[in-house]
Amino acid sequence: MAIRNPADSTDLRKAILKGVYDENLRIDSMVPDPVTARRRRRRSRIGNPVLLSVLLLVAASSLAGFLASWNPAEVAEPVAVDVPAEPESPQITTVEVKVPVPVPYAVPSAPPRPLFVLKPPEPVEKMVEVDFSREKLLDYSLILNNSQVRLSSLFGLDVQTIIIDPGHGGRDPGAIGVMGTKEKNIVLDIAKRLRDRLQESGRYNVILTREEDTTMSLARRVEFANAGRADLFISLHVNALPQQKVNLIETYYYGPPSDIETLKLAEQENRGSGIKNRDFENMIKKIGNTFKEQESATLATAIQHSLFTNVKKYDKDTADAGIKIAPFVVLLGVDAPSVLVEISCISKKQEELKLNLPAYREEITTFLAEGTVRYLAKRNLQIVKGEEHDQKGRGKSS
Amino acid sequence: MTKKAAAKAADEKIIVGIDLGTSRSAISASNGKRTWVDSYVGWPRDFIARKVVGSSILFGQEALEHRLSLELYRPLKNGVIKEGTARDEEAVKELIHHLISLVQTKKTSTEKVRAVVGVPAESFKVNKVALKKAVAEFAESLLVVSEPFAVAYGVNALDNAMVIDIGAGTVDFCIMHGTVPSEEDQRTVLTAGDFIDQQLFNFLEERYPDSDFNLNMVRRFKEKFSFIGEADRAVKVDIPVDGKPTKHDITDELRRACESILPAIVESTLELIAKFDPEYQDIIRQNVILAGGGSQIRGLDEYLENVLSEYGPAKVHLVDDPLFSGADGALALAQDMPAEYWTDI
Ligand SMILES: Nc1ncnc2c1ncn2[C@@H]1O[C@H](COP(=O)(O)OP(=O)(O)O)[C@@H](O)[C@H]1O
Ligand SMILES: [Zn+2]
Repeated sequence: MAIRNPADSTDLRKAILKGVYDENLRIDSMVPDPVTARRRRRRSRIGNPVLLSVLLLVAASSLAGFLASWNPAEVAEPVAVDVPAEPESPQITTVEVKVPVPVPYAVPSAPPRPLFVLKPPEPVEKMVEVDFSREKLLDYSLILNNSQVRLSSLFGLDVQTIIIDPGHGGRDPGAIGVMGTKEKNIVLDIAKRLRDRLQESGRYNVILTREEDTTMSLARRVEFANAGRADLFISLHVNALPQQKVNLIETYYYGPPSDIETLKLAEQENRGSGIKNRDFENMIKKIGNTFKEQESATLATAIQHSLFTNVKKYDKDTADAGIKIAPFVVLLGVDAPSVLVEISCISKKQEELKLNLPAYREEITTFLAEGTVRYLAKRNLQIVKGEEHDQKGRGKSS
Repeated sequence: MTKKAAAKAADEKIIVGIDLGTSRSAISASNGKRTWVDSYVGWPRDFIARKVVGSSILFGQEALEHRLSLELYRPLKNGVIKEGTARDEEAVKELIHHLISLVQTKKTSTEKVRAVVGVPAESFKVNKVALKKAVAEFAESLLVVSEPFAVAYGVNALDNAMVIDIGAGTVDFCIMHGTVPSEEDQRTVLTAGDFIDQQLFNFLEERYPDSDFNLNMVRRFKEKFSFIGEADRAVKVDIPVDGKPTKHDITDELRRACESILPAIVESTLELIAKFDPEYQDIIRQNVILAGGGSQIRGLDEYLENVLSEYGPAKVHLVDDPLFSGADGALALAQDMPAEYWTDI
């Protein structure tokens, strides 16, 4: 085939070749020289937990204000980090950090600060399998953004903004039942109900990505959620299957290969000699993504469980597809923990009929709300003791 | 790396372009040889297995066939080397070594190899250091580039063009505007060939719960009959039911599975193009190049062209040889690379 550029491309080629060369020189400068690398690695073979301590160490200095005002005595029980004995680290996490290399279990800067780590939440029930094996990490970005944060905010656990995303809309009807019921309308109605329900408690600020029957790209939804600083993101959909007898309920979350984050982290570190504040922030964000993934899984578990067990009571032909990992653009892009729920299955005739009844939609709303609230409650339970004295909500300042 | 390489005479050198794929890796060499293997690497599980397979390492189809005796790796499965898996890195290394050995005529020493290796865009972003380290010992000098960029270079689409490389684990997008593409010019989505296979498998399982098929069979159906839009004729395949080959109509399932990757492709394409000034958008839109195994889905080019046409004039091209467009592009790049650049790398 011939894609020729109108102009003679010799110069262009030259420039591009030079570019490839330069880029590779840059990469080469990041490839540790085998000899020194080996020596260095022996001293600082840094796995995730240790890396975390290093980060904390750096954080500690910039957080003097916060730490000074914080009385550890009020915290009943320091929780130790669960450090695997032999951290399995990717080879390239060799890091040159200009701080004393800490050993696991001890944050080297005196006085020892308790590290808070969320206990892995137990799966709601056996029915769904979630991998909680990796240790939990907190959303430390809050620390960075605000040195005056209070405890509960420090843990990023007081959810403020829930964004509900009714799928499809406008030109995109989504799935359509044989009677002509459209997914976009059903999910919009349920989204509104869910918003009203969650808002009753007064604890959450709930926003919909669309209020009307309007077309909205996935990218736009992502943008919206991130701009709105969502703390939770729930996308609502209705399934349609070729097989018409079953009502399949399933919940998705996006699980990017966890390795990307870790490797990015490593690469970041390889780049500079010292850790600059901005790099540090970036790293923290990457850790935050692990947090997002795990929280998304937990949220998905809670919603799926509540929805499925309850709907099943009405209709024994309800199938539990469990929680799944899938590369939905909207789940990937949103910074906050996010899930996509297929709340019902419009290809089943009775189900389509029921979806047209406000009472049934209200019912589904209840189940969704229950799952969400259960998740939030559980998450709050995991806050280390000492939260009571800290009732101030986190401002939207960050 | 030392400078000793610079001293050697250039005429003995072999220059290679390698496309390190999620499912298939290809190599094109300056001596005219071209070949590919499935991106599988397997080591015998124990010494008995070692005896059975008769080798300390196996590649491609051979590795797949002996998978029960092997620890099998597909090192770039999702476009990146996985965390904490030294073995995956090792597998990448062996794979490249193997590819190079396939095109070397006499057992020339590896010192004389100059290579450009194209890797999935995401892997380039994330793993370039690891990749380079993994390959360093097999070549005198080596450059890594992102795979869609290698394709673009190979078809001379250097300016105002866009490559969409539809592989097994990833679809890689890359916009060219006269420079080496930056991260913003590139994008990766994970709904690619493997995703179609999985979808098709699910659909078929639903429709034919009693039939006996697996992912490999499903992939073969796809590779033979893939299409989107209107079917020319019904697609019927043999699938065993109770051990007896039976004809199954899979037309609808196949279409739906193939079409399942379209939304993400369309969206990414539109978004990447939209970042440019409108006048450039028009040019880029008419210079869209489909590459990778997935570009062979019948009707895909036409479909994309139609969608893009809603935004202005559009033209979608297919590369001539999706199997080798990456390796050939990498080779072209390697051959065009001025000698003085090589010596420093
Ligand atoms: N005719 C075809 N139609 C659809 N998909 C195909 C066809 N031929 C190959 N593929 C798919 O293309 C993918 C491999 O493409 P390739 O460019 O080699 O990927 P990678 O670079 O990721 O290894 C596989 O998913 C394969 O099933
Ligand atoms: Zn939907």
